[in-house]
Amino acid sequence: MKKHFSRRYLGIPYMIFLIFFVIAPVLVILYYALTNGKGQFTLSNLFGFFSSGYAIGTLVYSIFIAFIVTLVCLILAYPAAYILAKEKVRKSSVLIILFITPMWINFTLRITALKEVLTALEGNISYYPFLNTVIGMTYDFLPFMILPLYTTISKLDDTLSEAAEDLGAGSAKVFLKVTLPLSVPGIISGIMMVFLPAMTNYVILDMLYNSTFIMGSLIGSYFAAYDWHSGSMISIILLVIIFAVNIITDRFADDDAKGRRAVL
Amino acid sequence: MENIIELKGIGKSYNSKDYVVRDIDLTVKKGEFVTILGPSGCGKTTTLRMIAGFETPTEGSILFKGKDISKVPPYLRPVNTVFQRYALFPHLNVYNNIAFGLNLKKLPKHEIEEKVSRVLNIVDMEGFEKRKINTLSGGQQQRIAVARAIVNEPEILLLDEPLGALDLKMRKEMQLELKQMHENIGITFIYVTHDQEEALTMSDKIVVMADGAIQQTGTPEEIYNEPNNAFVADFIGESNIFNGVMTGDKRVGFLGAEFECLDDIEKGTKVDVVVRPEDIVMVPYDEGAVKGEVISVIFKGIHYEITIQSGKNEIIAQRTKAAKVGDKAGIVLDPDSIHCMKREKNINRFEGVLTKKGTVLFADGEFECNVSMLYPDSDVDAEGNLTDSEGNSIEYAGTKVIAEISFDDMRMSDDAGEGGVCGNIFSLIYKGDHYNYIVKTENGYEYILNDEYLWNENDYVSIVIPKDSIKLTHMDSEV
Repeated sequence: MKKHFSRRYLGIPYMIFLIFFVIAPVLVILYYALTNGKGQFTLSNLFGFFSSGYAIGTLVYSIFIAFIVTLVCLILAYPAAYILAKEKVRKSSVLIILFITPMWINFTLRITALKEVLTALEGNISYYPFLNTVIGMTYDFLPFMILPLYTTISKLDDTLSEAAEDLGAGSAKVFLKVTLPLSVPGIISGIMMVFLPAMTNYVILDMLYNSTFIMGSLIGSYFAAYDWHSGSMISIILLVIIFAVNIITDRFADDDAKGRRAVL
Repeated sequence: MENIIELKGIGKSYNSKDYVVRDIDLTVKKGEFVTILGPSGCGKTTTLRMIAGFETPTEGSILFKGKDISKVPPYLRPVNTVFQRYALFPHLNVYNNIAFGLNLKKLPKHEIEEKVSRVLNIVDMEGFEKRKINTLSGGQQQRIAVARAIVNEPEILLLDEPLGALDLKMRKEMQLELKQMHENIGITFIYVTHDQEEALTMSDKIVVMADGAIQQTGTPEEIYNEPNNAFVADFIGESNIFNGVMTGDKRVGFLGAEFECLDDIEKGTKVDVVVRPEDIVMVPYDEGAVKGEVISVIFKGIHYEITIQSGKNEIIAQRTKAAKVGDKAGIVLDPDSIHCMKREKNINRFEGVLTKKGTVLFADGEFECNVSMLYPDSDVDAEGNLTDSEGNSIEYAGTKVIAEISFDDMRMSDDAGEGGVCGNIFSLIYKGDHYNYIVKTENGYEYILNDEYLWNENDYVSIVIPKDSIKLTHMDSEV
């Protein structure tokens, strides 16, 4: 009998990858988060996090930074994405040159260059740690905001704007009542792709001499001190927050945006 | 009745060279149902979009009740549009889609509710207020699109192929409903379609467009019974089109016979003759003015479509009685059923210029020609130079000429290099024993020719003209 090659077999490498590099690490983290140094089950790590004013302060600060960065990215990215999608510029080449090529340059190099520019402008960059962090993260994450917005806006049907205009809407009203609501899925995708990394990316803070901790650096500091248990618990807490944000935003995104986010 | 909208000499061009539409003159009276009918790419949608305000005409003006509105933006025009793909807002429910225009006008809430429920009643969609757009079928979306437009009580409703996306049965139903709606609410309708049956069924007035220009304007009966030219006759309904010539006072000769007709055209004029298949009367062989043999019979439900070959001509007839292939048949025609149309062109006529090589350049092409026909008593000497009667050579390069070529003297070729010019077949019309083709070149020049064989629309062909078939005359000698 002829053996049938099932397409399911193609999934095996991914399954193996998933088991070793996603599921297993999460289980390990979970194990460490819920045990103490002697390997006994405990919730003290959890209580420890919530009773530490320092840890809570870091969480709040991280969320605040992420919020500001996301907002700035959105404000900068929307007009850019809109112009790219709607105006008759040579879209693809402009898109690549402006927003993709910076990503070809090594991350550290980019931030180092930015540091030099900021130093030239500000003198001593350690005077403006917050501002510099926002600038650095915005610089790094902007493409991730532009791309989903660009895809959503370029797929918007022009006849919808025409229909709105036909029904008596001037250009401002067309934007507010049709274009903006219809680009919400792209906005959400963009937020997802900027907000969460911005909460944890401590490298930028480090490089720009921001001595404040955010969630990423907090975990790093525990691990550096060989306290695997507290560090793991914070990771789990972050995971839960991310998961919750995902569920909430999913309610606003349509199926289309979900598919696209999966691709991105 | 007063004119609600007038288009005066409207032209639209995106590069000031090629016109999408040109010289459009159209008057629409208040309350009329006007249909703009034409094949795709004829400029009908562009015309509609200019009335809606999405495009600005590059020439001419659009008058609304006598006032020029050419430059008024769409949101200030008293017209509303039903879009081809409905263009309903996917993020709003049915109620908010319909209320969109009313909300913008800041009407009080109860008034909006009242109006929305009234139009939902008109389009027969009561109870759908809360539904999301993507849960509606095509026909339902169509109704909502109409409701959204008419709720604003526009002076004119523009409909851009609104039924194009529906299946046949739904389309027929909606045709009747739209017509009914038009009668009930009394708004002027301007309707765009490529479906001739739709146009004939619904309209008070039909505007037939082709190639960016109006071919004919008239009532459905006028368009069907008295088409202006072969294009209209061919586009509207089925028709037999033959080459004919006027042989006397209201007499026309075609198909090898002479018939009485009602069209008073000067004797000797070459004409296109249109006879609708349902007007062909089949009689016993001996009684026929035209005699032939049945070569195909197709059952079409309501009638049989019978093709009769007479000499080289094929004639299509429709009747309810069947016939057998091979039957001998005669045909008679009622004078009323023969429609003669003067041709716009009987010959290809181009302005051109002679070159040194003895060729002529015109209409994007270069053709070999017989230059000696321009100069009486001239001759070609041994070296190939043109000389006059005394042996002096004639310098003809650069001479401006008129070139004329009859339809029958040209032919088409697949081989792009064979002819003097290449182009695409723009239209073809079957004329009994041959096809009449219009080939358009890159820059829009039209070559008209006859060919026995069937080529396809849009085929890329080269045009071959034998040297002696190009009739040259000096341009100055023309008055």
